[in-house]
Amino acid sequence: MKVFVKLYATLRKLAPPDNELGEFFEVEFNGATISDLIEQLGFTQEQARIVFVNDNQTSDLLSALRNGDRVVMFPPVGGG
Amino acid sequence: MSKILRINMSDLGHKWETLPKKYETLAGRAFTSAVIHNEVDPTCHPLREKNKFIISPGLLAGTMAPSSGRLSVGGKSPLTGGIKEANAGGLTATRLGYLGLQGVIIEGAPPVETKDWYSIYIGKDKCEVKKTSDYAGIGLYELIGKIWKDYPSKPGIIGCGIAGQRLHKGAGVFGNNVENTDPGRYAGRGGLGAVLGSKRIIAIISDASDGSRPEAKDKDRFEKGRKAFKKALDNHALTGRLNNEKGEPYGALKNYGTNVLQNILNEAGALPTRGFRTGRFEDAAKISGEAVHDLIDKTRKRFGDKAEGKYGHACHPGCVIACSNVVPYEKTGKAQVSPLEYETAWAFGTNLGIGVLHDVAEMNRICNDLGLDTIEAGNAIAMFMESGLIDFGDGPAAIELLMKGYHPESAKGALVCSGALTAGETLGVSRIPVVKGQALPAYDPRPIRGIGVTYATTTMGADHTAGYTIAAEIVGIKGTVTDPKAIDKAELSRTFQATTAYIDSTGYCLFIAFCVLDDDSGFGGMLDTVNGFLGKDIDVGEYGMAILKNERAFNKGAGFTAKDDRLPEFFYTEPFPPHNVVFEVSDEELDAVYKDM
Repeated sequence: MKVFVKLYATLRKLAPPDNELGEFFEVEFNGATISDLIEQLGFTQEQARIVFVNDNQTSDLLSALRNGDRVVMFPPVGGG
Repeated sequence: MSKILRINMSDLGHKWETLPKKYETLAGRAFTSAVIHNEVDPTCHPLREKNKFIISPGLLAGTMAPSSGRLSVGGKSPLTGGIKEANAGGLTATRLGYLGLQGVIIEGAPPVETKDWYSIYIGKDKCEVKKTSDYAGIGLYELIGKIWKDYPSKPGIIGCGIAGQRLHKGAGVFGNNVENTDPGRYAGRGGLGAVLGSKRIIAIISDASDGSRPEAKDKDRFEKGRKAFKKALDNHALTGRLNNEKGEPYGALKNYGTNVLQNILNEAGALPTRGFRTGRFEDAAKISGEAVHDLIDKTRKRFGDKAEGKYGHACHPGCVIACSNVVPYEKTGKAQVSPLEYETAWAFGTNLGIGVLHDVAEMNRICNDLGLDTIEAGNAIAMFMESGLIDFGDGPAAIELLMKGYHPESAKGALVCSGALTAGETLGVSRIPVVKGQALPAYDPRPIRGIGVTYATTTMGADHTAGYTIAAEIVGIKGTVTDPKAIDKAELSRTFQATTAYIDSTGYCLFIAFCVLDDDSGFGGMLDTVNGFLGKDIDVGEYGMAILKNERAFNKGAGFTAKDDRLPEFFYTEPFPPHNVVFEVSDEELDAVYKDM
């Protein structure tokens, strides 16, 4: 299936080089869950601290993704 | 630290006082709030002689503890009418720590008819109140350069700019940065710059030339704690080192600064856009911390050694988190402003619908020069946009408006410098985002309700740093983000408010909290430094609650009641896209935060 992914901060190095900051890129996804996607993209669950699927924040990395889902991931970030 | 310096601006005299026993463990916010509670009449006019301006370095300022050089300033706020503590980095806290000063209390005021301006010089066992009228009426970039010429010992400087000198309520207290290239280390909130102006003080100059590093009572425990804490901070993915073993960006704050939050709040749909209308800004990425990082790399590549842009820049000596930055001009690589933080990028960017990084940084620079709090100024400009006088998204018009702040004859300039409430009411706006008269920062309280509880109930007026529940609601603690719906917001906010009051007193930067909440060895290390320094154990929660008690009592005396612990009406009635929620915390829940105070 195809999912659309956005990566920020220190995870950006794993996005395609021509991917603009703040834009989705398309991923041909072979797995089922968010944690499978994290593995396929090449980082650890610990690094994907903050995850949004279709605009909603989720902490359940074992939930299944569907074709066309939009997934946004951040490492630990904070400040203020 | 063992001394208090008391300066009386009515007769320009001063005296050194031995620290009373009751203040022995109190520094930073604990000290400023205790002195205000004990010595200032809560009903006094904040811009007259009965108010006091209190300065206190955090407990560990000047020691080798990592990221511990923060300064607290306090007084009765002309913006809120309540107690205020504002907090900043810069040089002054460590300088005062070296001078053995637990606090400086400035009271009284010169006669109202005076035309003179003063500066205060503090050295080792030395204090002078000097007439420095030539420091008045000039921009702060020029002022700090002049002062370092007059004082080659590289002193810490805090003070007020043109906005404070004119007693405008949006005036912050500036501080020079470590390199003295920018006056951008702001204890910005609550209009304390105007309190200095009312006492006819432009600058307070701290010279630690003959001072010495403060020593811990229990050196071994302090040293053990310091090492453990530094290790924890260095290894945390948020507060940690610049690069990993492969040379890739590692620590989020060092690489992207606090403005790393711009994109996440945008994705969360909680980024207040165009005057708190929607939670998403289409140009958020362009003014985000990642964009600043890229601009710095780009100008470094192009201008080499001449490039002045920086990330991983420390806001005070000994800060290992180094979340500050220097934003360069794209065309020359020269410094435009330092720092550009999340709240400021939001206040002048997202909040005004302006997605041009240069324009946002330019407004930051103007505020640093004028002596203005950026959150208050950005919200004041938003009131001009709400009223239709200028358009949302019009960067050049916003810059032009802010520049009017320099001109004493400009009524618009005076309004921009007077905060969102004064500007909004004058311009006939009904959507004014303030609590207790202080403008809201960069998290919308409708989708993130815990921070809304903090905005409503903190003694400070709307202030995210007073109880940063975002850490639990968005960012996550110990690797997990708690389901926001499952959190008792009152309890969450109260715990964060008390813990924050403790951190604000230690000299530690509030951002250590991310590491301390995640890593038990970091938490233990932090406690060992504080308790080792004091030579006795203090309880974090009790210490923090005692501060909040003083502050609540002062505000009660000033006339605050439960109705002041509320958000503006429109947050309860206007659904906020994309989640289309309103602020749903009941009055009973809000009142539960301080039920016993």
